[in-house]
Amino acid sequence: MERPLSPFMFPTWYRFQITSALSILHRLTGIALAVGSILLTWWLVAVAAGGDVFAATHALLVSPIGLLLLFGWSIAFFYHLCSGIRHLVWDAGYGFELRSAYRSGYAVLAATVVLTVLTWLYVFLA
Amino acid sequence: MANNHSPSNSTALRDGSIFRRVSHLGSARNGLQEWRLQRLTAIALIPLGLYFAASILRLATSDQTTAAAWLASPVPALLVILFVFAGLAHALVGLRSVFADYAHKRATLVVADLIVRAATIVLAGASVLAVLKIFLGR
Repeated sequence: MERPLSPFMFPTWYRFQITSALSILHRLTGIALAVGSILLTWWLVAVAAGGDVFAATHALLVSPIGLLLLFGWSIAFFYHLCSGIRHLVWDAGYGFELRSAYRSGYAVLAATVVLTVLTWLYVFLA
Repeated sequence: MANNHSPSNSTALRDGSIFRRVSHLGSARNGLQEWRLQRLTAIALIPLGLYFAASILRLATSDQTTAAAWLASPVPALLVILFVFAGLAHALVGLRSVFADYAHKRATLVVADLIVRAATIVLAGASVLAVLKIFLGR
């Protein structure tokens, strides 16, 4: 049998499980946030530079694409944060039983939604 | 030469010679250091990240004066610099572990590694310079 390498295991060789889906999602959001750090630096530099550079950056950020990027960043950030805390708890040696792993997985998803909604409510209302 | 040290986890870390033998192992070839850095920055990023996310999502669409005024005050300036350092260090370790898993050729791994290291240093430098320029120029 030809042994498949890790990235190709998921759709073909594994049955869908919430735990493995959350695991790969942790990585994907991590990569997305790493790419997002380029935008963060760009924004900081734009604020420091002012003038046309800031105007162009501002125009992008308030456009539908910009808002979508910010919204995507917030979901990725809160998911990676909650999922990361779950990983830290595992590192400490707790929550390995199948039941608790599933429970914490759903808790992470719920917390992501709650934090994202609360943050955007705060952004629009404050 | 036969080694009589206990292999049990509780003694392994305290045993200097066992620790020396494994300290250069792992995909990063520096033993536990990257693992530890990943967890330390993760813990730091819980409060820093929550503070940053709450601030940035409001400020990202604001005008330049508001954003600059925020970065010109000492607490936000310090916390943003700390967030950038912790975040980039965390990202660097994470991306390196992704490459270690998916880059199957040594050359690819070395090149990818150099690129993310260089990018991390450039992003950290540019971010800190930007914040310092705003902070010092108020």
